[in-house]
Amino acid sequence: MLKLIESPFDRCLKCNACVVSCPVSNYSLDFGGPKHLGPELKRLIENQDLLDDPRVELCAICGNCDISCPEQVHVTDLIVQAKAIHSELSGTKFRDKLLSNPELIGKITSNLAPITNIAMKAKPIRKAIEKVMGIHSERQFPKYEFNNFNRRYKKKTANSERKVAYFVGCYATYNAPEIGDAFVEVMAYNNIEVAKPDQHCCGIPMLANGQFEQAKKNAKFNVQSLLKYVSEGYDIVATCSSCTLALKKEYVSVLGIDGAEELAKHVYDSSEYLRMLDEEGVLNKNLSPLNDNAGYYAPCHMKAQGIGNPAMDILELIPGYEIKDLAAGCCGQCGTFGFKEENFTLSLDIGKSMHDAVEELQPEYTVTECGMCKNQINQMTDQVVKHPIEVLAESYKKSK
Amino acid sequence: MGNRIETEVVVIGGGATGAGVFRDLTLRGIKAILVEQRDLTYGTSSRYHGLLHSGARYAVNDKEAAKESYEENLILKETIPGSIERTGGFFVKLPQDDDEYVTKWVKACNEIGIPIEEISLESALREEPYLNKKAQAIYRVPDAAIDGFTMIIDLVADAVRRGNKVLTYHQVEDLLMRENHVVGVKVKNVYTGEIIEIYANIVVNATGSWAARVAEFAEIKINMINNRGMLAVFNQRFNKQVINRLRKPSDADIFVPAHNVTIFGTTGINVDQPDDFSLNYEELQMMLEDGSNLIPNLKQMRIIRAFAGVRPLYQENKTSEAGGRNVSRGMALLDHSARDGIEGFVTIVGGKLTTFRYMAEKTGDLVAGKIGNYKSSTTRFEVVPHRHAKEFFKEINMAPATKNKLFHWAGTRAKDLEKKMKDEEILKTVVCECEQVTLGEIEASLPNGKFNLGDIRRRTRLGMGPCQGTFCHHRAASLIVQRGLATAEEAEEAVIQAIEERQKGMQIINEGETAKQLDLMRAIYYVSLGMGKEK
Repeated sequence: MLKLIESPFDRCLKCNACVVSCPVSNYSLDFGGPKHLGPELKRLIENQDLLDDPRVELCAICGNCDISCPEQVHVTDLIVQAKAIHSELSGTKFRDKLLSNPELIGKITSNLAPITNIAMKAKPIRKAIEKVMGIHSERQFPKYEFNNFNRRYKKKTANSERKVAYFVGCYATYNAPEIGDAFVEVMAYNNIEVAKPDQHCCGIPMLANGQFEQAKKNAKFNVQSLLKYVSEGYDIVATCSSCTLALKKEYVSVLGIDGAEELAKHVYDSSEYLRMLDEEGVLNKNLSPLNDNAGYYAPCHMKAQGIGNPAMDILELIPGYEIKDLAAGCCGQCGTFGFKEENFTLSLDIGKSMHDAVEELQPEYTVTECGMCKNQINQMTDQVVKHPIEVLAESYKKSK
Repeated sequence: MGNRIETEVVVIGGGATGAGVFRDLTLRGIKAILVEQRDLTYGTSSRYHGLLHSGARYAVNDKEAAKESYEENLILKETIPGSIERTGGFFVKLPQDDDEYVTKWVKACNEIGIPIEEISLESALREEPYLNKKAQAIYRVPDAAIDGFTMIIDLVADAVRRGNKVLTYHQVEDLLMRENHVVGVKVKNVYTGEIIEIYANIVVNATGSWAARVAEFAEIKINMINNRGMLAVFNQRFNKQVINRLRKPSDADIFVPAHNVTIFGTTGINVDQPDDFSLNYEELQMMLEDGSNLIPNLKQMRIIRAFAGVRPLYQENKTSEAGGRNVSRGMALLDHSARDGIEGFVTIVGGKLTTFRYMAEKTGDLVAGKIGNYKSSTTRFEVVPHRHAKEFFKEINMAPATKNKLFHWAGTRAKDLEKKMKDEEILKTVVCECEQVTLGEIEASLPNGKFNLGDIRRRTRLGMGPCQGTFCHHRAASLIVQRGLATAEEAEEAVIQAIEERQKGMQIINEGETAKQLDLMRAIYYVSLGMGKEK
């Protein structure tokens, strides 16, 4: 039987702040909303029979409800539990199991990368995938790299004074190893060596698809692996906002992994880490001007960390660099959510605020941390999308 | 003319005892009318913790009451299944509790035949993780949770279905006397002021704490002690089963799960008035202090309201005790013909909710005998229609939680409700989110008289959850007006009355989320909606 973690729902005042802030609730009446599927449902099953509400599938665990709650109820944690209950009682679709495992997809697909990338662009194949897999034929996919980051970077230890253990995440490993490269370079410009600890998918896609036990397994592995580095004085840094959120919050509050609380104290988003170096006065500011005009799109999981806007704080240090906050809501891709055939239209509806903000600001390109947000931006606009660390690497390189 | 009714028996009091007597007589084929001054269950019968005793609590001090309770526990589980959750219960001995009492208690339970089973702390904590880990002994008992609201409403509905009549919101103005005979009651409709005279062969006074007042109309003196007890409702159901403290029965040692909440009680303070439901902050704090011995986290958990009930304790006169009838202590069946020389009048008081059926049966025997009906009581095996409705609502698209509520709630109304919900989409609207109450349920339980949110609450749980009606009262009222079932004025009056009543139970908590909830409620009703006057 499922063993769920205590998460306080007692504080909910039923005020609906979470419902108002929920991107899914704003576009769909088929979703029960975060209040009902979170604290309300939890209260109704406490020490009574479990209730299986299939509508939890529509929750994209974007975390906007958590930020909006005036009572600090961890709504997402509660919904993740409801998702786990739903999977336990109703089972999980094959597609969702697959989607929940980007590491596995990454391993297989990147090995066949040249072929799969081409194949995924072919219409008949997309139609077939829609039929067999329930993934919408018009949905764009991130490309996969044969020369993935695991093949590119194998360093397991660092010898510099300040040491970083890099949590790469599936996206930078299999889809965008250039982010990993850029991160290692930026750290090198700051005399920090980067080690890549053994790691598995952070588990966020699993939580989103009710794969609670699998997420727990991965989390345990990661916590153990990363804690070893912590004990040796490494800081843990990630470039993916969802991975960072998992390491900082979900491992502690949803999964209740031993040692997670200790680990969380040492975890940083990459820009947040650089901002800290700057605050300590040790950041290498030998940055050459970039006369770009960019828009910054904040992923929901970045907002959910409650650390302000470190990407812009850092990028604004680049001379001549213009970056404006797109200040839009959720992009609608929401990780695995937007791939699912049944969510396709809803996903694009939700993404409209992001789309409109891009149209209005007309930046040369968009900066965001999240690979899935990038996927949706690519789907809905013709923007080039960069990770903040890539922009920073560019500036450092120019000044060499 | 409508102001005079004739029947065989008038039962005064719409609590467990009155409802029990009313149904008992109905099943014997006796024509009866039930009269209640307010709504059914308004008095003590809903103002208690909802514990269906296994008898274990009384085992040491009152063997007879314990035995009676255990027997009734078994009967009620079979005959009122829709209002009882077979939770089971724990008796928990803490280090500071008397060892000798435990020995006595085990022996007494064994003698009486109450099945108890000692279980390990480890397995007890697995079932009830909030229990004090220092507990020294834990016994499992066949306690259960019983819903006073649904039980009484169902008992009365069953009698009404069989042809008898009920008058709620009818206050007794006087007993109709002919010399030394009580020949009926004069009642007043509290809403319209209309007076009705009901003539009957026998009048049964089953008014609990109000028994002395009613008896006074026949110039009979009954000594009642009104013992007020306070209880607290927690936001969450933190226990699966009843948790009792294994010590000499005292204050603040019972935790009963009631649907989605836990009810914690109680205290005992004598008061003058039968409707003294006042709440006392210090009393609550003392309760919590004591209760945290059993549940160490108690003070961290959110209380959504407190309430009080008055135990109607009968004090015997030396000369009283009707003809040495074989009734147990605690309950008193007074035949005023033998006791006071007044014919046609019977009072049944005292007892406990667990033994209400037994009390009703004994009263029924006495009353039936007096009017020459010699059928015996059948309440021992005649089942009150169940609340289950799992076979319905299958094709209706509703949230699983909402459906689940209907599955356990709709009972005899299910078929009708299902049809209406299929015909009218709006009836599926969840009005009270905390307790998942739909507009359909609200309309199905609208009493005939005035629109009153309290009456709806008692029938549906509307407003019983964490927000205490902050969001559902105005929704219910506006929907009811929109549907043409009440005027805007009636609805506004009902809302103001309901939120004032809810606030009484919330104010006393005065801290944490409940204080914030109260602010939110006041802001919505008094400021945003501009209703009533802020107090």
